[in-house]
Amino acid sequence: MILNPFIETTDLSFSYRTGSSNAVRALKKVNMQVKLGELLAITGQNGSGKSTLARHFNGLLTAREGKVLVDGLSAADKENTAAIRRLVGMVFQNPDNQLVSSIVEEDIAFGPENLGLPPAEIRERVDWALDTLNISNLRRESPNQLSEGQKQLVAIAGVLAMKPRCIVLDEPTAHLDPRGRREVIENVLCLNRIEGITIVLLTHFMSEVVNCDRMIVMDKGEVKMEGAPCDVFRQGEKILNLGLDFPVAARLSAGLRRKGFPLPDHIIHIEELIDSLCQLK
Amino acid sequence: MELTKNITLGIYLPGETFVHRLDPRTKIIASVILIVLLLFIRSYEAYGIFLIFTAAVIFISGIPPGFALCGLKPMLPVLVLMWIFQLFLYRTPGSDVIFSWWIFSATDTGLHMGNLITLRVLFLFTVTTILTLTTSMVSLTDGLENLLKPLRKIGLPSQELVMTMVIALRFVLILAEELDKIVKAQMARGVAFDRGNFLQKTKKIFPVFLPLFINAFKRAEELIIAMESRSYTGGKGRTKMKTLHLGRVDLAAGLLIFLFSALIVFIIVSIQPQI
Repeated sequence: MILNPFIETTDLSFSYRTGSSNAVRALKKVNMQVKLGELLAITGQNGSGKSTLARHFNGLLTAREGKVLVDGLSAADKENTAAIRRLVGMVFQNPDNQLVSSIVEEDIAFGPENLGLPPAEIRERVDWALDTLNISNLRRESPNQLSEGQKQLVAIAGVLAMKPRCIVLDEPTAHLDPRGRREVIENVLCLNRIEGITIVLLTHFMSEVVNCDRMIVMDKGEVKMEGAPCDVFRQGEKILNLGLDFPVAARLSAGLRRKGFPLPDHIIHIEELIDSLCQLK
Repeated sequence: MELTKNITLGIYLPGETFVHRLDPRTKIIASVILIVLLLFIRSYEAYGIFLIFTAAVIFISGIPPGFALCGLKPMLPVLVLMWIFQLFLYRTPGSDVIFSWWIFSATDTGLHMGNLITLRVLFLFTVTTILTLTTSMVSLTDGLENLLKPLRKIGLPSQELVMTMVIALRFVLILAEELDKIVKAQMARGVAFDRGNFLQKTKKIFPVFLPLFINAFKRAEELIIAMESRSYTGGKGRTKMKTLHLGRVDLAAGLLIFLFSALIVFIIVSIQPQI
């Protein structure tokens, strides 16, 4: 069912501060795809280029070398920018810096208002977004009164109300406490599984990666690893050399294997580990 | 320094009274009319009627009278000073000296002028206070955006200006919190903000505001990116979720204001002494 590429980059390169002596090559000939309906994780240590890559997905950065196609539209073409921004929504790390209004529902209405929709439809979309993320009770609150996790949910609702086909989340949980993180990730999973929205999740947390359909590991502006999380984590040391870590279940099962327990090497979920351990005689 | 607790921008008293239910546009226009009237009033009779009117509005809107006036406290010294200046410095040829001391002398016209100007400032303050106490900031900006819309035609970017106000409202608290954090971080590293003379204290302020400004710029940049990716391209082509409606209450209020203004104008034109 997951087949058609929704976003596709070909030989995408990007440099910051081009022309000066200390130009930084943030992306080097990146070829990757985001497939329609999938939940894709992009991970990599700080400075690996994942944010720069993500900002090409909705035209915040335009490709100077290489090509980016979003739903068949070339992102380099300025005329497509508005259309691409309707297709791909973006949520950023710090919720405080992306909320506009002092009232939650007014903030969520901001995006649809920009699209020039009739008031009744904006109202309907705002209600739908609030309801989908289970934050209808916050509608009259001020963002300043909310927890960081709730603020991030409001930010996601603001993007959701624009009814994008794909939502890119740039480290949405980096500022959050464990509870806020769980709330956000559970909701993101629901958006993908229930609403069928394509999700690109940029993250440092391997516990978030394990829930994704596919993952891409970036380092120094290049795609270093790609595949289903259980296949990527099976490749051992390589992931540590890229400055990342294993999910808890994978680390634990690897340790147990070394001690002589016959566990399979594709375990990444806690539940899988528990099942496998229970089957041991 | 608990800055965040003291910031009450546009203290709004929620309620369901006649005044609260008015469309923000009605309230803004009414306030503007009242303010313009105030600039022309020069007689105690007119001020008397104005006092009755504002007292009635305060009563109807359910604002505790003390609350409406407590904001005046910090302005009191300025008001007294203004009154004294007018009393001693304003004079017209032929005015009588009513009191003199050393090189100063007060005239009856000076006294009259001092009273008028003090009353004017008092009433200006009361009118704007009633407006902000009965109208939330969000509906104020909504009303303002709507009223300023026609000015777009002459090149005023009204919607963008109001959007800036909306964002400023949201970020005042965030920046206050940040200021608080910076101050505490510096106190933890041994800066004593409450010690030293005026100059020394002032010097300590700069290292506080520098990081605040840098952070504010960073925030602004992130906000712009977020707004852009939410398809914001300026006020053009934007619609609003909330639409404003003029109702029966607005008609009633309009009539009331019209009658009141007519009365005041009549007093200004016929009874008021021309100075």
